[in-house]
Amino acid sequence: MADILLLRRTARTSWYRWAMHTLIFIGFTGLLVFHALDDIISYPFISGYESTLDPWQWLRNLFGGMALAGVCLAVARRLGNRQLKAISRPQDWLLLGIVGGIMLSGFLLEATKIISPNVFDRMTESYFLPEEETDVPALQAYWSARNGVIFSPPASTDADLVAKGEELSANNCNYCHSDTASAFLSRALSTAISPAAQTLNTTHADEYFWYLHIVLALLALALMPYGKFLHPVATPANLAARGGSHTATPPLASAAARKLGLEACTRCGECSLHCSVAPAHAAIGNANILPSEKLVSLRKYADDGLSDHDADAFAEGSRICTECLRCTEICPSGINLQELWLSSKESLKQRELDGPNTTIRQCNALQWAEVLSAQGKSRFEQIKGNGLADKAESFWGCVQCTTCTSVCPVVAVSEAPAKDLDLTPQQIMNLLRMGLKDQTLAARMVWSCTTCYKCQEHCPQNIQVADILFELRQIATERLKERKLTACPLPAATSGRFSDTTRDIQGQGSDSEGGKA
Amino acid sequence: MNRYDTIYDVMVIGAGFAGMAATLFAAERGLKVAQTGATGGIDFSTGFLDLMAVHPVAEGRYWDSPWDAIDAVIAEHPGHPYARLGKDRIRTAMNDFTSFLQSQKLEYMGHEDRNTPILTPAGTVKRTYRIPRTAWKGTEALRDKAPTLIVDFNGLKGFSGRQIVEMQHKEWPRLKAVRVDFPGSFGELYPEHMAWTLSSPDRCKELADSIAEHAKDVEYIGFPAVLGLNDPVRTVTLLEELTGKHVFEIPTLPPSITGPRLRATFDRGLAPKGVCTFSQKMVLEARRDEDGLFSFLIGVPGDARTVRAKNAILASGRFFGKGLRAERTGVVEPVFGIPVTQPEQRADWHHPHFFDKQGHAINMSGIEVNDSQQPLDAAGKVLHDNLYAAGAIQAHHDWMRMKCGAGIAIATAYRAVEVITEKNGE
Amino acid sequence: MKTLSTTVLIIGGGATGTGLARDLSLRGIRCLLVEKRDINSGASGANHGLLHSGARYVASDSEAAIECREEGEILKRLAPQCIDDTGGLFVAVPGDSEQYIADFESMCARSAIPCSPISTVEARELEPSLSDRIIAAYSVEDAAVDPFMLSLDNLAHAVSLGSEFRCNARVTNLHISNGGIERVTLHDDTTGEDFQVEAELVVNAAGAWAGNIAAMAGARINLLYSSGSLLITQNRLTTRVINRLRKPADSDILVPGGTVSVLGTTSVTIDDPDKSRPTVEEADRIIDDARAMMPILETTRYIRAYAGVRPLVLAGDSSDARNVSRGFSLIDHERDNIGNFVTITGGKLTTYRLMAEKTADLVCAKLGINARCATREVPLPASTMGRWTEPGLTAKTWLGTRDVHDQILCECEMVSRSVIDNIIDTIGSEGPNRGDSMLTAIGLRSRVGKGPCQGGFCGLRVTSHLYDRGCVQSDQGVAELKNFIERRWRGFSPILWGLPAMQADLQEALYCGMMDMELCGQRPDADALGADSMQEISALGGRE
Repeated sequence: MADILLLRRTARTSWYRWAMHTLIFIGFTGLLVFHALDDIISYPFISGYESTLDPWQWLRNLFGGMALAGVCLAVARRLGNRQLKAISRPQDWLLLGIVGGIMLSGFLLEATKIISPNVFDRMTESYFLPEEETDVPALQAYWSARNGVIFSPPASTDADLVAKGEELSANNCNYCHSDTASAFLSRALSTAISPAAQTLNTTHADEYFWYLHIVLALLALALMPYGKFLHPVATPANLAARGGSHTATPPLASAAARKLGLEACTRCGECSLHCSVAPAHAAIGNANILPSEKLVSLRKYADDGLSDHDADAFAEGSRICTECLRCTEICPSGINLQELWLSSKESLKQRELDGPNTTIRQCNALQWAEVLSAQGKSRFEQIKGNGLADKAESFWGCVQCTTCTSVCPVVAVSEAPAKDLDLTPQQIMNLLRMGLKDQTLAARMVWSCTTCYKCQEHCPQNIQVADILFELRQIATERLKERKLTACPLPAATSGRFSDTTRDIQGQGSDSEGGKA
Repeated sequence: MNRYDTIYDVMVIGAGFAGMAATLFAAERGLKVAQTGATGGIDFSTGFLDLMAVHPVAEGRYWDSPWDAIDAVIAEHPGHPYARLGKDRIRTAMNDFTSFLQSQKLEYMGHEDRNTPILTPAGTVKRTYRIPRTAWKGTEALRDKAPTLIVDFNGLKGFSGRQIVEMQHKEWPRLKAVRVDFPGSFGELYPEHMAWTLSSPDRCKELADSIAEHAKDVEYIGFPAVLGLNDPVRTVTLLEELTGKHVFEIPTLPPSITGPRLRATFDRGLAPKGVCTFSQKMVLEARRDEDGLFSFLIGVPGDARTVRAKNAILASGRFFGKGLRAERTGVVEPVFGIPVTQPEQRADWHHPHFFDKQGHAINMSGIEVNDSQQPLDAAGKVLHDNLYAAGAIQAHHDWMRMKCGAGIAIATAYRAVEVITEKNGE
Repeated sequence: MKTLSTTVLIIGGGATGTGLARDLSLRGIRCLLVEKRDINSGASGANHGLLHSGARYVASDSEAAIECREEGEILKRLAPQCIDDTGGLFVAVPGDSEQYIADFESMCARSAIPCSPISTVEARELEPSLSDRIIAAYSVEDAAVDPFMLSLDNLAHAVSLGSEFRCNARVTNLHISNGGIERVTLHDDTTGEDFQVEAELVVNAAGAWAGNIAAMAGARINLLYSSGSLLITQNRLTTRVINRLRKPADSDILVPGGTVSVLGTTSVTIDDPDKSRPTVEEADRIIDDARAMMPILETTRYIRAYAGVRPLVLAGDSSDARNVSRGFSLIDHERDNIGNFVTITGGKLTTYRLMAEKTADLVCAKLGINARCATREVPLPASTMGRWTEPGLTAKTWLGTRDVHDQILCECEMVSRSVIDNIIDTIGSEGPNRGDSMLTAIGLRSRVGKGPCQGGFCGLRVTSHLYDRGCVQSDQGVAELKNFIERRWRGFSPILWGLPAMQADLQEALYCGMMDMELCGQRPDADALGADSMQEISALGGRE
């Protein structure tokens, strides 16, 4: 419950986001409950409720102000963070625009009503029975002086008249109207727009704003089932459904839970900001590498709506994901992203859309070395130039202490690293030092690395072990992609000991075609 | 205030024994401490705390009493770091250090006034001052030449029970070895992963069962040091219950678990004392403002931040720790540019024989400090009145040959913190 | 005393001795090869590993240049497993003789050595590490050769044809009677056993030690010992051999050796071939000179240095080693009234086959045997013995096998336990080839100890394995380990700045700080540390 009501998970990402979100959440919910639904909730349940009475009038301004401030913060956040700006989609802006528009039109509506003599006239005609001739001018004088109505020509400012108007107002209006001053934002706005009062009043601007306000609100309602607009409902539901679990839960989520997770995304972008392979997005440009964007594709994929091209991009994004769990841990909506990725990867695999990760495991690293080195550098490598793996300086510092391997969780969970992983992280560094880059490209270690960065963080010599492993995976992928290889072209090897080398182990064999490396 | 805005009382540069000790002592005295440094000496440690065991190195003479050895070494090398400390202070420093470790479940044993012989993974015997409780029974087995079984594992390279037995068989005929499979694993093994595995009582039970047959006629069982990570005493005790024998650990080659255990103990214990650790970050540059405040640029080139402190303790070690940098033209201290006492030319750095008992001249090189552990400039004057140096970076000792590494690190760190605290009190 | 008998006794297990054993065996003549230490312990194992195109000698010795070209072609054809046909470049930098540059092409033409000028831009495209200040470049047909594989393959072929060899067999005396060597007495340094050999003819192929051997027979050979030091970089800096385009001098050549590069050399005259070892001063000198050609040589990480002794036969009065002929000397000691004694020394690795051929021709003539040389036509078979010296092979083998129960003992060069076991089985853990140190014998036949750690980690792991296998007992294994580390140290200590200094610091912390190994056992005996123990790199070749 703390997660839902206090947005506790949001607070973990940043205070800025929490403040922004809380403002919108509280403001919007407040308005929704007693203002938008006043016919259903406020009138029946609150005795003496009048939208123009305090505290409601004041609260409406407060909530509206909060929500508007929150929207402003959200817009500033999206514009201020370059990475976030890049992944913001029209629907993100649409939601902010609509919410902001509802608030703004509401305030404008209220402000134009405050200054409107037409509204004043309508009210006095309906609810005021003048007893004397000066009663109406007195009331006008008072409302103009006290409550900001702008008459044309201007109402009298005679003190006696105002005093009389105050008395009349107290007897006739105050049952239903608090001072407009308590509508602090609208009143301030009305002061701000007063120079244009003449025009606004003659054109009945308040009516236009009323339509705008209502139309926007209805639009929001109509969009509710779609995408992000559902998140105010789906997110709490998802959090509740996951029962407070903050991380990936091992039990397989049901299809419904998955669907709920998909809908709960608020597209806040935090997952993408925290994604451990985000640098790959910068390098490759495939938006599907970022969790928030991959989720969009996943939603389409789930509905079978991906074109071949998009499916490839989605598969690449899925492949590059290292299942490091960071997105799942950070997600303010508590979406079990990890589970979504795992199940979608599985599904891609079944449909043979998952690309190199499966392909690469069809043959051993040595066979792939043969295939991939025959091909030579891909265009991707040529354009990018020498990477970390090509530069001797990257490994100069290695003192062979094996710490990288020792702390590696992938090695730790492997029962038999030699067989399951081909090479350990440190062995890969040594192969690269020996100039045997092609031999490392298909090593299972490279493809099983979770980029948790423990190796890199523990290296006493500051060698970028994890970055290098990641680069190798990219290089192999690009080479496969260039040759459109979706399967290992060699028969899977069942080689015995030493049999893949050209020399005879016993005796002095004469097959010497091997030569040197 | 975030950790980069704080002005710290002390910045400790280095995360080896000296750096950890300085950080600990300073934090215990209520100073606001920041610490930087990458994986270093402590991660490669056997866990033994050497105080002083060999002097003169050229004769390879072992001393039973480290305190007598300290007297002897000071007499011959007046510049030795111990000469500036006093035995009482060294003793207090060692005790404070081990008390902290004990409070964090890493208990140490040893005799007050003498070194204790202990087995190394090569099968040699060395003498050291303080020994982790999990290794202590090994010293008793060695002393009594008791019937003992050394267990090693298929897949753990560089640790051979048979080697230890062969190396010791003349003096210790009742020592034997057995090689077994490690519970639940096959293929190559790494100590850290093994230690995690043995944190599980079920795995310990499997292990005890697999050696029961071989351990029938022995009193002690020695294992490579993989018996649990955070609470090894619990694992050792459990194995003792399961086997009915005394159990001890023998350190392994790096990457071992004995070093990471120490490191983890500090990570655990220092944080609650308010220490701010800039983990794995190196000091790229140090600047001293006019008001005497130090500004340190820490991180990696291109991604570095500034941290400020009123005092600094340089505990960055020697070449491997990157406290000293060996260039083709000479040895330099890279952070403050402190002059390094060293042989005149590179040809004199090393002895033609690696194992020559003289040792290598380069190992006596280092920076000069005064009694307050403040580095001196070329003219013998204090370089900065708020800069101190602790540990192996100091000149005039050969910790590897004299067996005084941990002692120097801990005691010089203690003294540096003492001086800082005294000054603060003024 | 045990007595062995053979037709021809060859003293010295370098390229010449093993090449001669093969040549004679192919002619049907049985030989016994004795070596006081192990294969390629002398200059055959301590050189650039360069198969000369001949271009280096076009100005000074056109005969040698032509020999190099012809022999290079033969080896590339018949022993391809030992050769990395890299091609080579000659480059000049500002300050190098304009005249020499101008004449180079015509000098090459005179000796029919293929050589083509290329633009400096093209040269830098081929080898990006070259200095941007080079002023001239020529492309030639240099190659890299693995001298260990070469000698081991030669020896293996000879053994398969019925000849024998013994390592660790030091000649103690040559017994002369009736104008000939009647028998040779030897001492096995491993077992302490003395034995003697009776042979119809004795060939002295002891390289730099040929003078010492001849002296035992009362014959005098006037040798000049020229010690040359080389440096090995941690990684391969170029794909081709890079030569300095100038009159042959120090620090002229950078040869790729599989996964590393070898830079050298120097030329320091010494008075005893046992006293050759690389120095700090030489390491600095090599770098200071060669960096003009390739600036990266100033900053790159070096793994070690090593030194070899060139035996130069003095022809005249000259005492400058570089002016003495690099050609070989074949001496029939008939001139010293010893009828069945021949010395072959000097020369270059590139021409080892030719030296063996000429020697075998003389041997046949003296023995009255009419048999033609076959080494110009018969391919050199690849052998088990030499296979594991190939850089990167163990890594690839590991990837191919992925044996769950195997493990890597030498991380730097990825030598697995199964490869070590394979070598132990080949050597025989008890046999005479085991030598005084199993660890050293393994080091010679594999890449163990040759990577950046220089034995710091692999030495300990392999030693543990040797104990596990029962190849060593008592404190013998640790003593061998200390010896092994001492031998690596000879080459390691001259380059201890920067990263290697950190590596050495870690090594000493391990061996001494952690394990007190300096205090156990006795000091390694001086003799074991005598001559440099080569075998630094794997793909190697001709001494320049």
